[in-house]
Amino acid sequence: MVKPYCYVMQFVAVFTVLLLNTGTVIASNETDALRKQLTEMKHLQKNYEQQIDAMEKRLVDLESNQNKPEKLAVTPVESSLVTSTGSNNDFQIGLTGLFAAGASSVDNDSLEGLQAGGHDPNKNGFTVQNVELSIGGMVGPYFDAQANLIFLIDAEGETVVELEEAFFTTRSLPHGLQVKGGQYFTEFGRQNNQHPHTWAFVDQPVVLSRFFGGDGLRSQGVRASWLMPTDWYSELYVGVQNPKGETVTSFLNAPGEDIGGYTLIDRDARNFSDMLYTARWLNGFDLSDTVSMNVGVSGLLGPNASGTSTDTTMVGADFYLKWQPDYSQRGYPFVSWHTEILNRRYEAGDPGSPSRETLKDWGMFTQALWGFKPGWVAGLRAEYASADGNTSTDPLRDTRKRLSPNLTWYPSEYSKLRLQYNRDWTEHLPDKTADSIWLQYEFNLGSHAAHVF
Amino acid sequence: MKKTISISFGLVLLGLSLSAPATISVVTTTQDLAAITEAVGGDNVTVQSLTRGTRDPHFAAAKPSMIRKVYRADLLLVIGADMEIGWLPPLLQSARNGRVQPGNPGYLDLSSVVPLLGKSSGPVSRAMGDVHAKGNPHYWLDPSNGIRMAKAIATRLSELDPTHKIDYQQRLNTFTEILSNKLSVWQNELTPLKGNKVIAYHKSFIYLADAFGLHIVDEVEPKPGIAPSAASLSALVAQIKRDNISLLILEPYYERRSAQYLNEQTGIRIAVLPQSVGARPDIKNYVALFDAIVAVLNNTKGK
Repeated sequence: MVKPYCYVMQFVAVFTVLLLNTGTVIASNETDALRKQLTEMKHLQKNYEQQIDAMEKRLVDLESNQNKPEKLAVTPVESSLVTSTGSNNDFQIGLTGLFAAGASSVDNDSLEGLQAGGHDPNKNGFTVQNVELSIGGMVGPYFDAQANLIFLIDAEGETVVELEEAFFTTRSLPHGLQVKGGQYFTEFGRQNNQHPHTWAFVDQPVVLSRFFGGDGLRSQGVRASWLMPTDWYSELYVGVQNPKGETVTSFLNAPGEDIGGYTLIDRDARNFSDMLYTARWLNGFDLSDTVSMNVGVSGLLGPNASGTSTDTTMVGADFYLKWQPDYSQRGYPFVSWHTEILNRRYEAGDPGSPSRETLKDWGMFTQALWGFKPGWVAGLRAEYASADGNTSTDPLRDTRKRLSPNLTWYPSEYSKLRLQYNRDWTEHLPDKTADSIWLQYEFNLGSHAAHVF
Repeated sequence: MKKTISISFGLVLLGLSLSAPATISVVTTTQDLAAITEAVGGDNVTVQSLTRGTRDPHFAAAKPSMIRKVYRADLLLVIGADMEIGWLPPLLQSARNGRVQPGNPGYLDLSSVVPLLGKSSGPVSRAMGDVHAKGNPHYWLDPSNGIRMAKAIATRLSELDPTHKIDYQQRLNTFTEILSNKLSVWQNELTPLKGNKVIAYHKSFIYLADAFGLHIVDEVEPKPGIAPSAASLSALVAQIKRDNISLLILEPYYERRSAQYLNEQTGIRIAVLPQSVGARPDIKNYVALFDAIVAVLNNTKGK
């Protein structure tokens, strides 16, 4: 902007000088006159140049001053909205602690088979379920980022640190697109990518522990989602993730583990066809002013480690319904109903192998919550999981039923106390049934954790 | 030649009419903001509120349908001052709409155009309950703030849609005139209540009290957002009797048992005040909101 403007000024100045001086040229002593004139002109030019420099400097100063507020105004970020403290720019930090105490009719060894979730209370006595440090915020105008670190105390009393999630999401891509990348919980169903402190029950559903392992399905990868141009909310998620590790148990789980009698081999993803492909289609409807409904279907396709060319496919359907009356205080009263059904086909053993078979498992859970007065929620969950074949001795594949009523009290938004009773029906335990009672308590420090829709 | 000019002129007009956006799509977090936007935006805007006036806007149920609305919005209006802190940030992240991200012209936080009351002067801790450090966010309950909000909304609409600047200005003038006239009527009607000692359920009526001269001495909630206990209620009974407090005001969505208990113990009158447009089916605009509030207060004062 500044440079061309100055050249024009310079040109105008020199041209003006030439015009002014043409009339004063006398021909008598042409050389002297010309020399004199040239000196004058040079002098004038110098003056003008000095003036132009001064003006240029003023202009630059002025423009840089004007630019400052302008630049601030177009930055699509405002700290006040995303921080609850208001002092720290675009940065949230929070710590949640989730603990349980309880007792069961079965011993600790049996409990590990019943409470297979990595954050489930699984000991007679006390369990540190999950201590989670969450850090997140806006990276700049175009990205958000979040990291969740988990601190656990294992069965030997050792402290374990886990990088549960660390990912970025884009903020304003065109055409309703969003990209997420890093280490993250796969969007499969409604429950899988919820963190333990937002669960409505003290433990994770049986079928999720069976299909996704103790820590839920999460891995490194990238996914795109598309908010479809429909009249209702409709979003399509498609992603690709690494298929290997302890957090993708139905795929390339750790070698030496076994599933349905097959010991897993050390298999790596060698090309794109060996990756874990994920898809989800979620729809949301407002049935009325007081009732809303979400319906989703999800699918997974990836290699598994029971053979060198074996695959696993999984499909799931989820349904969520929530009622909240016209007049509600602090979000109460409400009734919600959440159901998921999952199916897994696991090719076990390579083609040609005499023991080759397809392991077929399925399971479901359905849970209802009733927030009957501010801060108080009563819940009931029913679960069923089973598999084809003779699986009665396998804690992760036998026919299993569980019924769990619970009662939760939130003294404030940042803490809760929950009492839950579990009635288990299993095939693999000698008693066939188990009764457990758990008291869970939680605290939240720092920023609000992001709520899931 | 003439024909060519008129044809090309016609084509230009056609092009303009095709490219001109029909209306500005405005999404608001509350029905009060929607009502004021409808008043100044008229036919030039379509307005949708994310929450309903019957509900406590602090605790909106985040629904996927909201993502859809924010995604399509040209302008997002928010109450601010942490009112929507529990649900708006993740919604804005999911909505992937660059136009309405904070700091862009499509985002307007109305708390920036009104003088906020109740800003905390000392340190704030969660032990004090839900304290809004940035100031009390219930500012729409002062009609003068309604005028300030309308002005800011009209200005922003004119910036986004300069061709209808005059329309916005005219509707703003009408709105301001009606509201100013009404304000003196309401103030007259409520003169007998001026200076009366009042108890509110939640710290949500300080702007209303400020506008009409009520004197709120305490709240039913011992701390903001914390439910009253038997002990805190009996302390209130003593206070009501001692200080001769005559009126308890609360929003329609709060539980009534505490208020009824206080009424039984002390005879204090209860006024259920609609706090927002849409809080009752008959309250369809911003003027009707104050008509309704004044009517409720008038009905209770005589008893």
